[in-house]
Amino acid sequence: MANVEGKATAITVLTPVKREGPLVLWAVFWAGRHIKETLKKLEQLSFIHYARWTVIDRFPDEGEGEELGHEYLLFESNFNGTWDQYIDAFSEVVPLRMKAIWGTSYGFPGPLPVEPFKAYIRRNEYVANHYWSAYPGSATTEIISAEHVEAALNEFRHHAAELEPEAFKIAYESLMTTIQHDL
Amino acid sequence: MSGGNNVSGQAYALTVLTPIIDGHETQLAQYLNGLQSGEQSPLAAVPGTHFARWVVIDDVIYEGPDQGEREHLQHSRLLFTSNFDGKLDPYLDALRTGLGESADAIWGHCIGYPRGDDADAFAKYLRHHQVGTSLFFASYGDRTVQDVKRSLALRSKVVEFALRAQGLPAAELKAAFLQEFSS
Repeated sequence: MANVEGKATAITVLTPVKREGPLVLWAVFWAGRHIKETLKKLEQLSFIHYARWTVIDRFPDEGEGEELGHEYLLFESNFNGTWDQYIDAFSEVVPLRMKAIWGTSYGFPGPLPVEPFKAYIRRNEYVANHYWSAYPGSATTEIISAEHVEAALNEFRHHAAELEPEAFKIAYESLMTTIQHDL
Repeated sequence: MSGGNNVSGQAYALTVLTPIIDGHETQLAQYLNGLQSGEQSPLAAVPGTHFARWVVIDDVIYEGPDQGEREHLQHSRLLFTSNFDGKLDPYLDALRTGLGESADAIWGHCIGYPRGDDADAFAKYLRHHQVGTSLFFASYGDRTVQDVKRSLALRSKVVEFALRAQGLPAAELKAAFLQEFSS
């Protein structure tokens, strides 16, 4: 059993969707794909590497797929930090989105207060049997910071060689000031 | 199934659900639980994989009478998800060759699995059991695994250099910088 790999944590949730849910989810996910603001808010949750929602209308088999009495909603996330911090943040930062999405599933108590929400997720969660991360030592913010550092450094070294030493030193110090929060 | 919803930037969200042969659930779970983690994971040999997981889904969860009668999967499912770089076809091939015998040791517990020595049949099997993504969120979907690792390594190098270069006179600072970062 392995929901944790280095700094990364896996969450896998599969919930039964109410009869009217698929249409609502279609609209919510359409908005998520087409209205930038929807995902922008998720970017504030700066500890998520990758996350996805998948509506399962049939569980694949050798034929047309196995159809149950309900559709199911699969959620997976790869994040850094603890499980509790993650659900707390979902509940505090994006409660309306959580309600719009999981409100279509049976038994969802709402994103607030957080304890029933956590109990709901725990009840519907599956533990990964094997979990892989290509960079288990790094948090999302470190990866994004490293990208900033690389971009700034590449721009700097483009013209650094041509500068006189004194001018170089000033430019270098300015570079360090620019990227200090990313180091 | 493959399409735009599986993609964010250059990242692809793959979701595969395969039916487990009746009676093989425990054996499969034990095999997956016993896999080594980190660089010893079979997924370490599959280039371009940011995060991936296998999860044995024994059955769906019942959320109580609101949902109507309790329903069950006819067969347990093995969930495989991956967040990887680039297109699906080359990745399925990388998965087959990278996992090698592990692919057979895992999906060999699933109904209809053709074995990994047949490239076309392997890809077809996983594609047939793929479920399309409804919404995919990637914090840095334009960055490949290589990009991420390169930026992280560069960031460490910059931190190290910044400490070492403190107080150096301008000419020495420039020389040291160019030596470290000019390539």
